[in-house]
Amino acid sequence: MCRIAGMVHPGMDVKNIEQTVLGMCKLLQHGGPDDEGLYTSHADHLVLGNRRLAILDLSSAGHQPMSYQDRYHITYNGEIYNFRELKEELQDLGHYFLTHTDTEVILAAYSQWNTHSFSKFKGMFAFAIWDNHLKELLLVRDAAGMKPMYYSTATGGMVFASEIRAFKMVSYLGEADKNWPVYLMAYGHIPEPATTLKEVKPLHKGCFLKYELHSGKQNLQSFAHYSYTKKKFVGGENVSNEVVNTFTNAVERHLIADAPLGVFLSGGLDSGIISSVASSLKKSRLNSLSLYFEDEEYSEKKYQDILLNELQCTPHQYLLGETEFHANFPAILAAMDMPGCDGINTWFISKFAAQEGLKAVLSGIGADELFGGYPSFTRIKFSGLLRHVPKMLTSRGRGSSIKRFNRLSYLQLNGIKGTYLFLRGHFSPNDIARQLGNSEKEVWSILDQMPVINELNDLQLKNQASWMEFNMYMQNQLLRDADVMGMAHGIEIRIPFLDDEFVRMVLKIDPEEKYGGPLPKQWLIDRYKDMLPQPIWDRPKMGFSFPFRKWLTNSTYVKEMMKNGGVQTQKNYLKFLEGNLHWSQLMSLIILSNRNEA
Amino acid sequence: MKRNNLLFLTLKVFSATGGIEKVCRVFGKSLYEYGVENNSAVQVYAMHGNRAAVDDNKYFPAEMFRSFRSQRIRCTLASVKKGCESRMVVISHINLLVIGWLIKKLSPCTQIVLFTHGIEVWHPLSRFKRKMLQGCDKIIAVSRFTADKLNELHHVSPSKLHVINNCLDPFLPLPDNEATNSGLRQRYGFKETDKVLFTLTRLSASERYKGYDLVMHAIVNLKLTHPEIRYLLSGSYDVEEKKYLDEIINRLGLSQQVVMTGYVSDEELAAHFLMADIYVMPSIKEGFGIVFIEAMYYGLPVLAGNKDGSVDALCDGKLGWLVDPLNVFEIQNAIEAMLNDKEAHKPSRELLLKHFSYDAYKLKVNNILSF
Repeated sequence: MCRIAGMVHPGMDVKNIEQTVLGMCKLLQHGGPDDEGLYTSHADHLVLGNRRLAILDLSSAGHQPMSYQDRYHITYNGEIYNFRELKEELQDLGHYFLTHTDTEVILAAYSQWNTHSFSKFKGMFAFAIWDNHLKELLLVRDAAGMKPMYYSTATGGMVFASEIRAFKMVSYLGEADKNWPVYLMAYGHIPEPATTLKEVKPLHKGCFLKYELHSGKQNLQSFAHYSYTKKKFVGGENVSNEVVNTFTNAVERHLIADAPLGVFLSGGLDSGIISSVASSLKKSRLNSLSLYFEDEEYSEKKYQDILLNELQCTPHQYLLGETEFHANFPAILAAMDMPGCDGINTWFISKFAAQEGLKAVLSGIGADELFGGYPSFTRIKFSGLLRHVPKMLTSRGRGSSIKRFNRLSYLQLNGIKGTYLFLRGHFSPNDIARQLGNSEKEVWSILDQMPVINELNDLQLKNQASWMEFNMYMQNQLLRDADVMGMAHGIEIRIPFLDDEFVRMVLKIDPEEKYGGPLPKQWLIDRYKDMLPQPIWDRPKMGFSFPFRKWLTNSTYVKEMMKNGGVQTQKNYLKFLEGNLHWSQLMSLIILSNRNEA
Repeated sequence: MKRNNLLFLTLKVFSATGGIEKVCRVFGKSLYEYGVENNSAVQVYAMHGNRAAVDDNKYFPAEMFRSFRSQRIRCTLASVKKGCESRMVVISHINLLVIGWLIKKLSPCTQIVLFTHGIEVWHPLSRFKRKMLQGCDKIIAVSRFTADKLNELHHVSPSKLHVINNCLDPFLPLPDNEATNSGLRQRYGFKETDKVLFTLTRLSASERYKGYDLVMHAIVNLKLTHPEIRYLLSGSYDVEEKKYLDEIINRLGLSQQVVMTGYVSDEELAAHFLMADIYVMPSIKEGFGIVFIEAMYYGLPVLAGNKDGSVDALCDGKLGWLVDPLNVFEIQNAIEAMLNDKEAHKPSRELLLKHFSYDAYKLKVNNILSF
């Protein structure tokens, strides 16, 4: 797991490119504290850069960018969990390996199977491969979009990096996408394929982009995608057993590391399942990491303790107090790459993981999206019904101070995008226009144009909710937080619920069975309740929440920032203090003010 | 202004194994990628076939596919509605063109692009069909032969015609990744030293134009100089055609030489190509002939007819041997030359990929979709 950057540009001086990529790597060094490397092909005006976080083969043999047969050169971020199996297969085909890294396996696999190799990799990854014979640069990103890859092909070259911040070093890419504040206020994050920069976009998950140096042609192709089954559903006891076994294997694969690793333990079902499965598998004792708060209302310590009593692991519990929050809040904002209203919890738990000397931690992301853990799975039905209400009436809600009424107007947007913003949106277009000084029409038009999402009408309703959570909320918020906030402390966050084989199986399960039952995620509960104490699965959902409203209310840093904001910002801040604005909405305003200052 | 939506209207995509369905799958993939790259909503509608067929497909996410399970009226209405909201509608077959015509009437700024493959447009069309054809904004022809026919027979303006040759399926297993020792020779009773000619096609009494019967006639003479010659004829057949071929085999005394396998699954396709020595199919009505480029992808020397779209698939003979498909002696001589020096007749991989790789196809498709 690392941070990567690179550039190829026939029209630019190679020394200049080298300086640019070095600068990009420097801006990314938080995510790769162990090593730095650069590969330059002078004749081709190409530089690949890497900041390394060593987890597999900790020796210098894992140095990146890595080369193979003097032809292929790679800078790579991620983990291929099935690399040992692939390595054996490649050895049988005559490949010889010098290291114990997955990096070298990617190179050998590419040399053997070309772009067919990408769908063989099970894991989370984003990498760039330079083929020095064909003079082609390929950017590749995993099918679930766990690892980030941003790129630009403006002015005829190609630049890429793990984080948007790195593009600061590229002088011609400085222009901001002027629409990003609208996205932030509507979504609470910037949805793909938008970014904060006009000429930079994310590589779509499951795709590779090929850039041919000589012709300057670029070609984007998909090598893997996940589909929700439309017809051939599976179910029953045998399928359940198969899915459970697949998950056990997934967790086992996710425990592969040559550096110490742990499990995030929130006290909830998903992390409870991972911890139980992991502790039953791991020969050495597993490290668990938990956050809790003094305030009983938010603290999950009770549940964490119940679980820890049952598990064979070394617990690390941290009391997160208000003072520590205030002390670190500016650093959290600085760590954020693309703006988003969440991720603070991930920042803290990663910080504690780093303090314990861990390099990788397993997280429960994905279970809520795949098994129906969010309220949207039940609410989606109402959004469908409300769409039949005349627009005249739904748009009446837009001035309301009640968030839910306020968002009713979003149902004017067609398809799942309207549903998403109705269920999960932050500010209404009316409020956004007022805050940003746009016309409401402009805001609607911006939201209408991006992102474009295909119709999902053919999918079963709860699968539509799952699609939405998986491809929108998880993709644009949770996975980004996990990557950036983990990397802020040099921690790799691994996500067993997004194991390729597991996801493919779960998407086939009959929705009636998968989302049925009285409790959210009943399917998972039924499979794992024997492994877990009853209070863990039979409890009200709290999520991984913070005493946020209180802390942000007390924050003098925020107060100062809001004071320096415009009239509308101050009005909104006042609304927050009066209890009429959610803390996550305030976060948008904080980020907007923070970025304006910068 | 129309949204940047694209609709691809098809007859079948997944539930059949023919060439047109292959084209639809690969085109659907390139459409999906175009949508990702250009922030466009893309949808594939299929009049026939069931919904289940799309599950697990490798080409594009199932969400973008909708099948109407032969409910023609529903399909037409939904397609017209969707088409009118789209910037462009690509129609996979002339039989669906009436839907495109309706869309154009209701939404003149929607671009109508028609795919033409082969024989479906090589004969005179009704006045209405011809009018609809001429009303298309662009027509994609899978070969120059088909494009010429459109111009000659239906007076389609050359400015509207775009030749986009079919391409190799990007998911074809790599040639070096398949076990050459698949046991197929043993299964079909061939010795390692036997020279195997191979034809893969649907064997249908109503479509008898693939030239396999002429190949058999050629083998009668060839077996005298090449007793090791064998002919593997694969593909599903109907009863009448089987009877017809059995009669020929008996009459010509080729029961030792010819093996008819019936249907070959996609999984075994690569192994069949790798087991064979030469691919022969002197067809006379080939729109393009994807099977030729597949055979060449697996390194086989190829023999094809010079009277149809095969000429494009063989790059005017640069990739393989073109013969008069109705002339048994030409067929015989070509096979003989290929048997005598197989290596000399192997296609250039570089040239094959330059013309028929998915990468090359994508660039041409993107040009059409972007206009």
